[in-house]
Amino acid sequence: MDFQPDLPVPISYVSGRYLLFSIDVVTYLRREHHICGVLIGTLPQIPQQNVFLGLPLELMPEEARLLVDKGVACIVDETKAHDGMNTLLEEDRRRYLRDLESQGLHVSRIQTDRKERLREQTMKKLEEKGAKKKANASAAAAQTSAVPEDPTSTPPQSQKDASTVNLFAADESQSSSPAIEVSKNTTPQAPVAITPATSYPPLPTPSPSSYLSAPTVPPSYPLFAHLHSKGYFLSPGLRFGCQYMAYPGDPLRFHSHFLVVSYEWDQNIDLMDLIVGGRLGTGVKKGFLIGGAQKGIDDVDSEADRIDTVRAFSLEWAGM
Amino acid sequence: MADADEDVIQTPSATAVPPPEVDLSDETQDFRFLNHLNFFAESSPNIPRRGEKDFEPNPTEHQADVLSASRGAMHNALSYPRLHAPKTRIVAFYAPNGYTPPADRATPKAGGEGANPNPTKPAPKPTRVSPDACVYVPNPKGQFFKSMGQADPTSRVWLLPEEALYLIERGSLDIRWPSPSGSTGSEEDLSIPMSLQAAYACFIGHGGLTLERYSVYTGLKRLGYTLIRAPGWSDDIEPQESDTPDINEPAPRLVGPGLAGIFSSLFKWIHDPYSTASTATGPIIGTGIHRHYMDVYRKLAIIPWYDPVTAPERHPSDTTPPFRVVFHVYKPSTPFKKSAPPPPEFRIAVVSTRDQTTMPTLMQLGSLLESTPLDPPRGEKMDRMMYMRLRHGYRNVIMAVVDQGVVSYLRVADSAFGKEKLFESKAVQGHKRNRNQKSRKR
Repeated sequence: MDFQPDLPVPISYVSGRYLLFSIDVVTYLRREHHICGVLIGTLPQIPQQNVFLGLPLELMPEEARLLVDKGVACIVDETKAHDGMNTLLEEDRRRYLRDLESQGLHVSRIQTDRKERLREQTMKKLEEKGAKKKANASAAAAQTSAVPEDPTSTPPQSQKDASTVNLFAADESQSSSPAIEVSKNTTPQAPVAITPATSYPPLPTPSPSSYLSAPTVPPSYPLFAHLHSKGYFLSPGLRFGCQYMAYPGDPLRFHSHFLVVSYEWDQNIDLMDLIVGGRLGTGVKKGFLIGGAQKGIDDVDSEADRIDTVRAFSLEWAGM
Repeated sequence: MADADEDVIQTPSATAVPPPEVDLSDETQDFRFLNHLNFFAESSPNIPRRGEKDFEPNPTEHQADVLSASRGAMHNALSYPRLHAPKTRIVAFYAPNGYTPPADRATPKAGGEGANPNPTKPAPKPTRVSPDACVYVPNPKGQFFKSMGQADPTSRVWLLPEEALYLIERGSLDIRWPSPSGSTGSEEDLSIPMSLQAAYACFIGHGGLTLERYSVYTGLKRLGYTLIRAPGWSDDIEPQESDTPDINEPAPRLVGPGLAGIFSSLFKWIHDPYSTASTATGPIIGTGIHRHYMDVYRKLAIIPWYDPVTAPERHPSDTTPPFRVVFHVYKPSTPFKKSAPPPPEFRIAVVSTRDQTTMPTLMQLGSLLESTPLDPPRGEKMDRMMYMRLRHGYRNVIMAVVDQGVVSYLRVADSAFGKEKLFESKAVQGHKRNRNQKSRKR
């Protein structure tokens, strides 16, 4: 579960945006670096809804920049990298296709196995029903005939889940489950075709020389990085009337605490903006947080030094 | 003293039941609820209800366990593969150079090698495949092609980048890379399936498709809407030849009788003393005998107002991107025909918050609205209810504001307040008699 990818992890740069396609990287960045991004893709298992979304994950330029500055990630021009698809060697293609085929076979085996199990379960239910009817009429002699199937037909729920999870783990022990025998008895299945999520196996890992430079970030970046360094999880906030939403922990489990808006250090702030933001924040049980870096980019050596000079203030209506 | 929403805030409602109309997609969902769904099941699962979240992290083991369970569930849900069962599998081929008229027979290789993206070549049928199309399906089957794709003379269906990306992402299309040129034997053998990552890399940025536009497209498709590209899709559209007389004169276009036209009529009002004869010389309502309040009010209406009905319709090329209609949208219930799409039910302009950080100007918004056709409020309900009429407006457009993958939809309508003569509506007149008398005394 606690997968550790090779660093730096590549962030796909596609048409000016920063995307992640590998679920392992997404989970890793979320767990270790508190970077959540926004899921924008369709979940293939439930494609007609917008509540749960899937890969890819879109990162804000701020998030990508933060990861690059930390040395955790690098930016890869994905369009250019995919030009390599044409020059792929024939043997690489063959090997890749073979891999996919064996994965596909594995999936189809799981699927037939599952169907088999379901069929057995319903058969058993029917039999039990019939047995009960008979039992009402006569002795329990009929019931013994229904028993032999028992060990295979009632698999524990957890095992079924495990096989779903590790569908693509190479070390999945195929012989351990009793189910394989069942599927071998049935007619051999055609492999299921798979659309992989990422292009890396067939493409070689991009070389460091092809990395793009760190993303350019908006002026609100110092405040973003400051809050992130204090342990907050940040997500885009325009829909809620601010620049970022700041969560005290993973947004999966916690509500956000602050609506964040960044200002320049010497910028005049319209009092009306503070009132509007403060009332909005209090109205949704959050604080309205403003802040900015004291020093400009010209006064310090690097962006990182600016982050140390950030100050933040939160506004809350004490009574309303 | 305190109004309703303030009362709500005061109550310590940490345990309050969420209102039924909460938009679940507004916030991060706990993926543990997906675990209850049976992923490999044939029947379509239901969306679970949302659960409780904690206020802040604490160092308890319980909380850590719940969090890691949530993350685990998310990991599982997102690592679900895109599978194509042999029976329902639809194979497509990527053609990086766009549409190429079939050479002799439609072989999968033709798409990859042709270097001529000219779409106007096929003579036999008047089918026009968009030059932006870059994926073709040799054997189209299934429901998706009812509203997507364009067929060429050899009945291959060509998909636009957003259509192909949507289908591959939902696991409904198996797109293949073009076979390596020069390979012999069966091409099927060595054509590699395109990954989701490859699809994004190839299709986003192709033919004007931005990630923001795609987010809007796929978000609405997931909800069942039908979307097609609007004429304003590409940034460099040329004005149509048919209405050149209107458009070739830039000066009247800017100060036309649109929103800006208010000012010109204001000037007219100042300079033309005849139309409001008495303002300069005497009381506005004149000195005659008035037998009816209506006449008085009508004379009192001296402030010119903007009538959306009289505004000329403009060509999309008059608008400034991104404030330009890029999608035509149809409700799921509307019968849709690819070959003859009905008039759209919604028009959507897509705005990226990272490229456009300011509100549209009045000029930009005005020309955006005027590029949509007149859609006056109609129907029995609209006739009855004034506020619905005002909200509906005479022209309307939807702006999809995309903030890093988070889409907000705003409907902008051109209301005609001047058309609603309050003094003419009888119900209001009865109530306001007292106030009217007062104002007369002055």
